[in-house]
Amino acid sequence: MTLKGVLLLALCWISLAAHATPVELKLSGKLLAKAEYREGAPSKPAVLFLHGFLQTHEFPTIHRLIGGVADSGHTVLAPTLSLGITHRRQSLACEAIHTHTMKDALREIDAWVKWLKARHNGPIILVGHSSGSVEALAYLSGKPDPAIGGFIGISIVEGRIKMNAVETARLIKEMRLAVKTGTPRVTTQQFSFCQKYQATPASLLSYLEWTPQRVLDAAATLAPPNLFIMGGRDDRLGEGWVGELKKRNRVIIIEGANHFMDGEHEFDLLDVILNELNTR
Amino acid sequence: MKPQSIARLASLFILAVAGFILMMGGYLWLEIERVSKEIQAREAHSARVEVVEGLAEMRRRALDMAQTLALWDETRQQLAFSEYYTLWRDDRVRDAGMVSNRVEGVALYDKRGRILAPAHKDRPMLSELPGRAPLALLQQDRDGGHFSLFLPVYADPEGQILLGHVGIKFNFLAELRRARTYQFADLEHLRVTLTAGSSIDLERAGDHLSFATRSNPDLAAFHDLFRASLLRLVIVVLVLLFLAAVLLVRLLVRPLRAFSLEIDALREPGGSLPQQPAQASPLPILELDNMRRSFNDYQARLAELHTNLEQNSRDFHDQARRDALTGSYNRRAFDEDWKTLGEDRRLGRVALLLFDCDHFKAINDTYGHQVGDVVIQTIAGALHTALRANDRLYRLGGDEFATILRDADAHRAEMVAERCIEHVLSQDFRQYGLSEPTTISIGIALSEGEGISLHELQKRADLAMYTAKRPGSRKLVFYSEDMGGMAALVGNREISAVFQAIENPDLIELHYQSVMRLPMSTKEYVEALTRIRFEGELIGPDAIFPIVQARNLDMEFDLAVLRALDRDLTQNRLPAGQGVSVNLSAPSVVNSKVVDALTAIIRAHPGRKIVAEITETALITQIDVASDNIRRLRDAGCLVALDDFGSGYSSLRYLASMPVDLVKFDISMVHLLESGDRRQQLMMEDISSLVVTAGYQMVAEGVETRELLDKVIGLGFSHAQGYYFDRPQAPE
Repeated sequence: MTLKGVLLLALCWISLAAHATPVELKLSGKLLAKAEYREGAPSKPAVLFLHGFLQTHEFPTIHRLIGGVADSGHTVLAPTLSLGITHRRQSLACEAIHTHTMKDALREIDAWVKWLKARHNGPIILVGHSSGSVEALAYLSGKPDPAIGGFIGISIVEGRIKMNAVETARLIKEMRLAVKTGTPRVTTQQFSFCQKYQATPASLLSYLEWTPQRVLDAAATLAPPNLFIMGGRDDRLGEGWVGELKKRNRVIIIEGANHFMDGEHEFDLLDVILNELNTR
Repeated sequence: MKPQSIARLASLFILAVAGFILMMGGYLWLEIERVSKEIQAREAHSARVEVVEGLAEMRRRALDMAQTLALWDETRQQLAFSEYYTLWRDDRVRDAGMVSNRVEGVALYDKRGRILAPAHKDRPMLSELPGRAPLALLQQDRDGGHFSLFLPVYADPEGQILLGHVGIKFNFLAELRRARTYQFADLEHLRVTLTAGSSIDLERAGDHLSFATRSNPDLAAFHDLFRASLLRLVIVVLVLLFLAAVLLVRLLVRPLRAFSLEIDALREPGGSLPQQPAQASPLPILELDNMRRSFNDYQARLAELHTNLEQNSRDFHDQARRDALTGSYNRRAFDEDWKTLGEDRRLGRVALLLFDCDHFKAINDTYGHQVGDVVIQTIAGALHTALRANDRLYRLGGDEFATILRDADAHRAEMVAERCIEHVLSQDFRQYGLSEPTTISIGIALSEGEGISLHELQKRADLAMYTAKRPGSRKLVFYSEDMGGMAALVGNREISAVFQAIENPDLIELHYQSVMRLPMSTKEYVEALTRIRFEGELIGPDAIFPIVQARNLDMEFDLAVLRALDRDLTQNRLPAGQGVSVNLSAPSVVNSKVVDALTAIIRAHPGRKIVAEITETALITQIDVASDNIRRLRDAGCLVALDDFGSGYSSLRYLASMPVDLVKFDISMVHLLESGDRRQQLMMEDISSLVVTAGYQMVAEGVETRELLDKVIGLGFSHAQGYYFDRPQAPE
């Protein structure tokens, strides 16, 4: 048995001992968001995981990390962004009528940070996966809570529109016009991993405005310590994205791992994250 | 119970079997109909169960779909933020595959059950829930039946936070069809019996559905197959039955009928079963052959028995028709043959010959019955010999015989009759102790196409025979018309008169004819001649005495005559002192009663000359008894006259010894004096001379002329009588 195997068994044993608690957070009169909360050692930084685009906190990559991190003694909070759906429990389909905006997401992240902050006195480390990393980055680039003590971006994506810059600019222009004129028409675009992403102009525009460059710029200017963990075989990223990212950020490449860091690479990911957490 | 023919019984049997088969076929037919109806009822029940199960399955499927929809995050999204509800309702729901294309409509309702937005015009939905969800409704719209399911939508899994309601609507009939496979229910004709616009809970939908039961092709095929099979089976069985009937007729009925006909043929005398069976059946049947053989044996034994019986019957018949004494046929055979002769109408040329033995009674009385029997046997034997082999000899009674000659004329009848007389005469009767010759008299009657009856022919033969028996008559007499006067002999009236006269002598009327004393021709006495006054008519002696002789009433009749004579004498009907002669038959002469009666008359009327006239027959047959009686009469004072001398044998030996006073020559002898030839007249003269010489007085009968009177006077006759003197007449 390899060392990784022994470690996996140990983590499983520990996870059995950890106590996962579903928690809810009422965001407004109509929205209630759900999250998984695991209380850890107060002395260790708490970790707030943000799932990928349209996913929930139960997405496997996040879910495995929740267990591993919580088992290492960290307090963990993994919310599921409501995306405008109260008690959302499922991944939201690309074809759903997306009315949620980046702003809404940032507001929910802020609410969960405050919720966690109310239960944990130590620093809070934001860990995002995929577009969750973008949303965390967007949150951090705004007016983040002071309790945020670090950011780890896993498989951060460069952008979500499959267009060239000109077309993207034109689309953004159209969306801005639609938002400005109050046109409620839902538009369908090839967005992120969705072939048919159906969203209101405001919703789509809120995400389109986070262009790759803006992401790179935001990452480069983050105040808290940050780390980007990328898969060596992540095929969902644009060509040269990791290179661009490395230029101004600390990036750890897990060789052989894909966008979701699954398989044996999840342990490598966990090891990297735990090591990073242990440095805080 | 009336026996039925085997053909009818076989037909009835076949018909009964056919009827039974048809009845069984009908029973099976009805039974399969009943089973079919039972199966149909079960199928109807199964169909209803199917529909009920279909409703439940339809509800379950819809519930799954609605629950999925209710738990869908996007449903909660729309309930919370319904800006894009219609887009979601009309497109997103279907694109996401949350509801199938079968769903006619989807709608969300708020917590109070009010629809979030008016439904699509083409997909109408209830604008408001009729009750508290969950609800499953059967609706009847204008376009048909629909099924709607409404579920509450909760925000939390625990169902504590009600967000609103979700409703989905289906085409009821299509959804019900898809719910399951229907083997029995025929949903093609399902109909919702609700009024348009109304709805009910799906739980009670079964009560408002009308549908047919799917025709069971297997059952129908089985039903048709069974009926066709049953029909074929019945036809085949009936055909087989018909063939069996034909075989039965050919193999059993026809042989039995043939056998029955053969047995019927046994009713005919001499009938028998053929040794080989009739070709009525191509199949030999052991029992029939055995029965045939048994019947043949039985018939053979019956035939043998029948032959024996016939032989016995013939023997009995022959014996019954044979005379035991002579072996000839008896009176019964005669009557039967007469009858047969009459029936055969062969009376065209028939000769009836009646034979009678002369003086047989005298022979019988004189020599005894044994001798008489032998005489009869001898005469019968002689007649047998004289007759042809085919001519039957009948003994009609006593000494009377007869024969019937078919296809015979007078010549042949006479030849046969003469041969008979000769054969009788040729018999030697002396061997039986008879000293007198025995002769027969024959009466012959012919029917030669005269068309006379049997009775008339018999009557004629009787008359001829009586004629032949009369003294002086030829022994062979043919009937002639002049014998008509003798018809009384056989007439019932005359016979009755004779018998009544015997019983009542007052019926006897005596006529008296004078007997004159010659040569002076003075009346010496009168001869009493018998007549019978019967029913106002006078019956003469020609009718009386043949009857008396034929019936052997001589003695009885003579006694009656004597009583009549005594009456006349007592009543003085005759002049005082006048003598009277009375005729006594031969049987009376030898009878003591008659002699006593006559003796009593002599004594009762003294002074009167009484003459008893007797025939020589009495002397011939019983000469001793006759002589004694004559002697007694003479001792009493009575004279005795030998009557009809010359008409019979007129034996000279008897003439010499006859104890008589007078010899009364027969009229035929007296008339020879006038009509006879010379030789006859000479013989008459010699006989009269001889009689006178013997010491007898002679009486001539039939003197009708003076010349004849002179001749008899010349011959020495002492007495004469006849019409020359007077005719017989009643006393005054």
